[in-house]
Amino acid sequence: MAKVNILNYEIHCAQGDVQHTLKAIKNDQIVKSFKSVQSLQEDVEIPYYLFKEEIKQDQESIYKAMRDLLLKIIPTIDESKRDSTALIIGTSLVDWHVVDAINASVYENEKKPYSSKKQSIDSYAKALSREFGLNDFTMTINTACTSSANALLEASNMISIGLFEYAIVIGVEIFSPIMSSGFYAMDLIAESVAKPFDLERDGLVLGEAIAGIVLGKEDTLWRLEGGFSNCNSHTITAVSQSGDECVEVMQKALQNSGVKAEEITALKAHATGSYSNDLAELNAISKVFSSSLTFTALKPYIGHTIGASGVLEIALFMAAVDDGFIPKTYFCDNPILPEYRPISEHKKCKEGIFMCNYFGFGGNNISLIMKKEIV
Amino acid sequence: MKLYIKNYSSYRSDLEDIDIKQVLKQKYKLDTRRQDDFIHLALYGAQLLKEKTVIHADDELYVTSAYGDVDVVQRTNTYVNKEKQPVKLFDFINLLGNTTSYYVARSLNISGKNIFQISDNFTYINSLISLYASIKNSQKDAILCAIDLVSTPDEVSKRVLGVKEDIEIVSGVNYQKFSLDAKDAIAEVEFDIKTYSLDEVNTMLKKENRTVLSSIRCMKLQCSKESKFFETLASYALNSAMKKNEDMIYIDCFEEKYKILKLKSLK
Repeated sequence: MAKVNILNYEIHCAQGDVQHTLKAIKNDQIVKSFKSVQSLQEDVEIPYYLFKEEIKQDQESIYKAMRDLLLKIIPTIDESKRDSTALIIGTSLVDWHVVDAINASVYENEKKPYSSKKQSIDSYAKALSREFGLNDFTMTINTACTSSANALLEASNMISIGLFEYAIVIGVEIFSPIMSSGFYAMDLIAESVAKPFDLERDGLVLGEAIAGIVLGKEDTLWRLEGGFSNCNSHTITAVSQSGDECVEVMQKALQNSGVKAEEITALKAHATGSYSNDLAELNAISKVFSSSLTFTALKPYIGHTIGASGVLEIALFMAAVDDGFIPKTYFCDNPILPEYRPISEHKKCKEGIFMCNYFGFGGNNISLIMKKEIV
Repeated sequence: MKLYIKNYSSYRSDLEDIDIKQVLKQKYKLDTRRQDDFIHLALYGAQLLKEKTVIHADDELYVTSAYGDVDVVQRTNTYVNKEKQPVKLFDFINLLGNTTSYYVARSLNISGKNIFQISDNFTYINSLISLYASIKNSQKDAILCAIDLVSTPDEVSKRVLGVKEDIEIVSGVNYQKFSLDAKDAIAEVEFDIKTYSLDEVNTMLKKENRTVLSSIRCMKLQCSKESKFFETLASYALNSAMKKNEDMIYIDCFEEKYKILKLKSLK
């Protein structure tokens, strides 16, 4: 794959924007909340990384939040080039356009007139594209936890063959009673904190986020070297504990990027804190890399933001390296494999080649390789 | 951009009334438990394609739709938002778009890239564009599943599609297997990212002697239109032309902008 550069990024998560999040990480001042979700017996409180100011679950609020994020990154693209800019969203949000149509058809006594506007989960992208004068090409990808990571790969494919000069990729996930209740029903939610790769891990903690990355061909310090995405899981909810599916994805990502395993400076793991996925990922890491690998997990800072995690975690990882460090992994006191321990202290790092993993529901797995080179 | 079509499969609910779940169980011996009608429809189209063409384990899979699985959104909305009940486990799983593509991939024994995506405008053509960009980079073949299932009541689908109440909407699933390689191809399809104005399209059509079809969204365009509608009708139109070994132009329109698919039969 031809190399594509990363021109800009910004995030909005439970810790705030990118600068506030870095500050929270460096000062060990991570904010986490609780949220009530429905269970069979009674409502239960689950830990949750929530925005400081609530974003309501309606079309208007979600659109405004995405627009606010886009306003921060779009100045990277000259106005004359915006019509050659694609917009791709990665999310597993429930489609409120469909919910509103259901409510209008089934639950409301007084019938609202039909709209002549086509609506779908991609309507946010279409409206943003129109407002900011971007190309008509918009797309919304839903591949669960890999949604916005896949969106990045799709966007880079289109830039590398010259279809577009730029692409903006947005990952978005906002608290949803449906999604939260689903994760709780699957017994995947931690009691209190996510403990990635720890023997005592008991599940994940969900989070809200909106994050954006601008891709293009202009020279910058960061480059998306390549990646590999597939669907080859043991079951619909998990990869096999051997991690062999993750091994394939990581090895092919390295191969596609022309990078050797020993050249990887550090790896950002998917590391949800769930029992089986962490075991699979760590087994896979041990089959691809030597035990000297530097690796870390970002979810204890921001939560598992499902469809947004692809863009959010890459953006946060880049921001940390731009700030001169790789964040330590919280709460891994007794690693699953003693010789493969995520870093327990922040590690100085200003440049290098990095792998970012996303192994998700529905069998979708993806590894991306990025490079930062200080000239 | 040009892609070669190795083969295709096609099903429309208004042309053939079958019990898809029973066919999947009895004819194709597939496990249909815990799956919605939307997934069953996608699986049925996949099995029809599998009967007609060679599918490789590393083929890429793209699944696109106007609005996805409305039934599961309707059920979860009722449980969680209206009745304040927890979501049912398999509704939660089926709610994720890539659950459908996972089951399709498994039924075709493929383990390549697998994307579920929706484009509000030019749903089918935009999926072709991303598929093309992907296989230009990977040099693999790719399968595109275009699927629309009408919900009950169909008012929900009509509201989301933004079509008038009196338009008849139907369910359909249409597959093509695409390649960059012309060998053994039955047709080639050309498309681009450019959109055209009505005047540009009319000028182009004056010189055209191929069959021209358009979506009902092209209200100002004077050419043949299907009276019944589903968003991924473009995919059906390609398949229908290939069945007749015909060359064809298909035109779609959103907000006064037009996109064009050109099909050339190679048989």
